[in-house]
Amino acid sequence: MSITGFIPLPVAVPLMAAAFLAFAGRWIGRRACDLLAIATAGCNLALAIVILRGVWAQPQVYWFGNWWPRPGGVALGICFSIDAIGAAFALLASVLTTAALVFSWKIFEDTENHFQPLMLIFMAAMCGFSYTGDLFNLFVFFELMSVSAFALCGLKTLEPAPLQGAFNFAIVNTVGAFMIVMGIGLLYARTGALNFAQVGRSLGNTPADALVLLAFLLITVGYLTKAAIVPFHFWLADAHAVAPSPVCVLFSGVMVELGIYAVARVYWTIFGGTLAAHAVEVREILLILAALCAVVGGLMCYTEHHLKRLLAFSTISHAGLMLAGVALLTSKALGGFVIYVLSHGLIKGGLFLCAGIVLHRLQKIGENHLHGCGCGMWWTAALFIVGAFGLAGILPFGTLLGESMISESAAQLRQSWLEYVFIFAEVFTAAAVLRASFRIFFGWGDPAPTDESSRVEEKPETEAPRQRTPVAMLLPAAALVLLGIAICAVPQLRGSAENAAKLFIDQPSYSRMVLDNAAIVAPAHAVSESLTSSIARSSIAGVLAALLALGSVFRKKLSPTLNFTRRLELGNTWLRGLHSGHPGDYVAWLSFGTACLGGLFAWLLR
Amino acid sequence: MLLNYLGYAVAAWVFLWGLYGIVTSKNLVHQVVCLAILQTSTYVLLLAIGFKTGGTAPIFADIPVGTVVVDPLMQALMLTDVVVEATVMALLLSMVVKANEVAGTVDPEELRILMG
Repeated sequence: MSITGFIPLPVAVPLMAAAFLAFAGRWIGRRACDLLAIATAGCNLALAIVILRGVWAQPQVYWFGNWWPRPGGVALGICFSIDAIGAAFALLASVLTTAALVFSWKIFEDTENHFQPLMLIFMAAMCGFSYTGDLFNLFVFFELMSVSAFALCGLKTLEPAPLQGAFNFAIVNTVGAFMIVMGIGLLYARTGALNFAQVGRSLGNTPADALVLLAFLLITVGYLTKAAIVPFHFWLADAHAVAPSPVCVLFSGVMVELGIYAVARVYWTIFGGTLAAHAVEVREILLILAALCAVVGGLMCYTEHHLKRLLAFSTISHAGLMLAGVALLTSKALGGFVIYVLSHGLIKGGLFLCAGIVLHRLQKIGENHLHGCGCGMWWTAALFIVGAFGLAGILPFGTLLGESMISESAAQLRQSWLEYVFIFAEVFTAAAVLRASFRIFFGWGDPAPTDESSRVEEKPETEAPRQRTPVAMLLPAAALVLLGIAICAVPQLRGSAENAAKLFIDQPSYSRMVLDNAAIVAPAHAVSESLTSSIARSSIAGVLAALLALGSVFRKKLSPTLNFTRRLELGNTWLRGLHSGHPGDYVAWLSFGTACLGGLFAWLLR
Repeated sequence: MLLNYLGYAVAAWVFLWGLYGIVTSKNLVHQVVCLAILQTSTYVLLLAIGFKTGGTAPIFADIPVGTVVVDPLMQALMLTDVVVEATVMALLLSMVVKANEVAGTVDPEELRILMG
């Protein structure tokens, strides 16, 4: 079956449904809006699956208005060029949006805030972003995604905190977007093209000069800002702390990851050839960023006691690990990156929905206010703890498979130190979530200390506290966490991901496919190595995380030597102070990071 | 010769002043306007890229074939850029209005609730 006719639909259908809902929402009532939005997202989910199956073996190119490049000509039209990796990202976006919309059945009683249309626009933009094969189109979908995200983040306009969070988010990301426009402009000035394949072919294998390096810098920084990589990450915690829980699912689960995806896509289709001589230096620069991000995110995650902010910093830490998958510049690591993103998105989405359940049931979100309040919410507690071990990447979770591929690739490149970064990030993020669940759901140990950010309480998203968790809330949370495990059951997952990644990084084949309408031969199945060493390592990480969490909770009872956990929980004041909540400071960090990265590029990539 | 690079120099200059304004701003409205200034640097850059000395408008209905014209793609990119960023500005300014209503301040220093 040809899937050509389906390709534009995951963008077109939700946009039309969103326009209809925005127009007719106030007349058709709340429940009809919900049903229509969930039906649209479900329909998108089905379409995304059909497209993923269609491009599994053979990537597809779709030229809008049939403006395909004539033989020997250049690409003037706009195309979607979909491979398995792009299709997988669109599928993840659809799954998470569906779950988030089901979850929001019980919250947001009025339709005046346009929650459902904004979510659908957000989903359409993310699908278009994953599918597109055009540089400027990528920017347009990036902005569509950003604007709907800003609006969703600041949805609760009656409190100052969401406004501040959304404002910081919007300012920092928009500065990043302008950098992307400038980079695109420079590339167009050099090559006269906007299609990935055409730009890549025009740049060819000639060594990059200052203009191309500047374009690479601006585009990379722009997308890394979206990806919340240290030091461009400051907006993320503020945005996540205040956005409604179902929106956080999309922010953490797929939007941030799409930033890293865009860096990989742009690097491999455009800059791969021209920077080929400096691949080692590009790898080292990106790996340093990735490691810094994983460590800073992990340390900050452990110091937080505001549940959503805690999860936000764990996303920053994991974004560092994902960037490492891209930064190694090998097909195996890139395949690991994809598996890691998929499973992390599902698990983190489930955790954010659980945080939403806590807010719904207990009307508070700070760990210090909730000590022992969650006794009896066993299902939520179980999901929290299972999700925490998912973040640690232990055996039945997809994160283990992704991490094992990235580590194997790192070891082959003599970058084995990356394993310790992985263990560090996994131990700290998992321990923070475990510590919070022990205190909230079991009431173990003493109440958590108060910190600056946990003072900020969130107005509950629902009216009255409920005695029971609604099925519409528990079901999507459980489904996401379980899918994070079930993803391992996909046969030949690692081999398929590596094959898809091989196609992804093959620039000559990509441009032949897009520009010359050539069929791409899928490479032979890669043989996956055994998982034994990864299982052992991740089990150690899981045990360490549990010990650290228990040590934090019971430090007064057990031994004074455990006092270091208090320092981990309340220390790092210097690091915390950098997250000042002032958009000017964040943009200053963005400029500083850009200058440092630019200096490194000028020094090492010339 | 020097004039060829003037547009790029102006774009970089405006970009840096926009950044400076955002970083040092003490008023949210001012900050949004600085972001708009930052954005105009992208217009200048795109104009500089598309411009050709002596070129005319790229409308081929009433000019002879072979006339020098400026790059027609740039205006399309710029128009998209304008539309996208008008949306962002409108959204940001509406947030500032709301912040003034809810918190009674437009100073980012005083609005700092989230931190650490």
